[in-house]
Amino acid sequence: MWASIKIFAMIGWRNLWRNKRRSLVVITSMALGIFAMLLSMGIMNGMNNQMVENTISTSLGHISIQRKGFQNDMKLQNSFVPSKELKNILSDIHDLKAFTPRIKMDGMIRSSEASRGVLIMGIDPVHEKTVSKILEYTLGEAAGSYLTDSEASDILISKTLADKLDLLVGDKVVLMFQNLQKEIVGTALTVKGLYQSPIDSFDKYVVYTGLQNLQKLTGMGTKISEISIRVTHRKQVDKVVEELRNSIHEPLFTILSWKEMAPNLFRAVTIFDTMMYIFFAIIFTTVVFSIANTLIMAIMERFHEIGVMKSIGTSPNRIGAMVLFEAMNLGIVGLVAGIGVSVLIIALLAYTGIDLSFYMESMRTLGTGHIIYPALKSKDIIASTFIVLTTTLLAALYPAVKAARIKPLEALHHI
Amino acid sequence: MNIIELENVYKNYETHGNIIPALRGVNLQIAKGEFAALAGPSGSGKTTLLNIIGGLDQPTSGSVTVGNTRLNQLSKKAISDLRLRKIGFVFQAYNLIPVLTAIENVEYVLLLQGINKKDRLTRSKDVLREVGLEKEMYRPPHELSGGQQQRVAVARAIVSSPDIVLADEPTANLDQKTGAHLLAMMRELNLREHITFLFSTHDPMVMEHSKRLINLIDGRIVSDEIHSKP
Repeated sequence: MWASIKIFAMIGWRNLWRNKRRSLVVITSMALGIFAMLLSMGIMNGMNNQMVENTISTSLGHISIQRKGFQNDMKLQNSFVPSKELKNILSDIHDLKAFTPRIKMDGMIRSSEASRGVLIMGIDPVHEKTVSKILEYTLGEAAGSYLTDSEASDILISKTLADKLDLLVGDKVVLMFQNLQKEIVGTALTVKGLYQSPIDSFDKYVVYTGLQNLQKLTGMGTKISEISIRVTHRKQVDKVVEELRNSIHEPLFTILSWKEMAPNLFRAVTIFDTMMYIFFAIIFTTVVFSIANTLIMAIMERFHEIGVMKSIGTSPNRIGAMVLFEAMNLGIVGLVAGIGVSVLIIALLAYTGIDLSFYMESMRTLGTGHIIYPALKSKDIIASTFIVLTTTLLAALYPAVKAARIKPLEALHHI
Repeated sequence: MNIIELENVYKNYETHGNIIPALRGVNLQIAKGEFAALAGPSGSGKTTLLNIIGGLDQPTSGSVTVGNTRLNQLSKKAISDLRLRKIGFVFQAYNLIPVLTAIENVEYVLLLQGINKKDRLTRSKDVLREVGLEKEMYRPPHELSGGQQQRVAVARAIVSSPDIVLADEPTANLDQKTGAHLLAMMRELNLREHITFLFSTHDPMVMEHSKRLINLIDGRIVSDEIHSKP
């Protein structure tokens, strides 16, 4: 059996190179198709990654510990005092990189020119920079600086918001919000600095002030809205969530992963992923015809030879198997060439990045950043291998059946 | 003991609604170990008869028995298996598999029979040595002369020690010297291995070398002569 497979694989391989030019054209078209698809997948992976990572790095965090109900109703009453015991539990978890307390509340910012509805984030400037990238996003020099004092009456706003409200660093703004007693209060804050994140919607909506300053203004005391957590790697999120759920027994708390806090983002990424595979399969159904055509031509050219093989006792099944092996050889060579070229080029692009500055605004709307770093996952290579080999096999079925049905006598008379 | 038996075999071809008879009531018995030739002018039915005996074609009516097997009752797969195990073919145009070397062409039949690698190689090399091609074993067919290719074809036909070798005009594409050498070689195999040889030919040299000459005209056997000289 094995020897039989070996000889038909060998005959298939040698037959493949009898018409080098024709085989190379098909192999090149397959390799180009695979490269185009893997590059698209790589770019899509890169965009998805960056979109998720940027969202996590601005407001979401990997994991959040909140009071139950806060996720759906962001009011101050859904706040809590972080106990020493809770902090100890967090410090003991191995894959937990950093955590920071936050207050999140809705409010309004007013300048002399205009006013806007905003999300006010009360942050601890020292710990916040270990969880989010807000320090990295803060623009330097004339655009001021990052918050330094948690008690100071300073505010950090985005450049986008500053332009809309006609504000410069050092200007005063009024921040209005509801305090814990549900009274509307207003306070004057100084614009300490400007930031620019890769997410347009975030920039239009989020302002930062010191945690202790906000606790004092709202009358929250030592209460906070959430503890935002960063883990060592995004892959560890589910594991750490599980550990936290097992360690924290306070029934008032809920522990949410980024997927639970931003389900639409998670769903969008999953849908993009699936769509790429469907797209890949559609592209390769067109390659099916090219492979089938090549094989039919090869069989017609070898009609007489197949007749000889049958007349000396080769069964129809074995003739069919020989054609399938020939197709698989074609598929494997195309696959190896396509994946080889793709891995090399995508690795290079993953290092240099693809600069899409001329689509900057669109990229900021998507939240990906304007330099995309393509990323190839092993599951993409496995999926492309499966799709290419399956389509190749499907393409070869008709030619294989046709070859198996050749009548030896008819073929022997064929010149 | 007869190894081939044909009883009242008819074969008609239909072309554009016209029925063209190729064989008209052929009765023939070939005993094991014979060295026989079917002779006759073109269109007399000798190749058709050879194809029917080899299971490559089916008779319109009549019975064909090879060994103890009646071909009329066999499935395509069973006929294919019979050709693989009991019958060796030698064609006018050599018909080697071009992507395989001489030894691979010979080994191919044994491989289909499921013979192990060691035995395959030993038998293939032995038989190629017997036909005088020990130096050309690893050459592909296009690097061999016509005579050498036909010797590879004979080696392929006899390597599995079949009961019968059917040879359709085996010397037609060879010069006289090469043809004579090939015939002498086949006769030697016939005597030594007791393989039954049946040729279709209109080459006088083949007719002369054969031990039995069956003449066909218009699909009928018109004479059947045994040559007594050794």
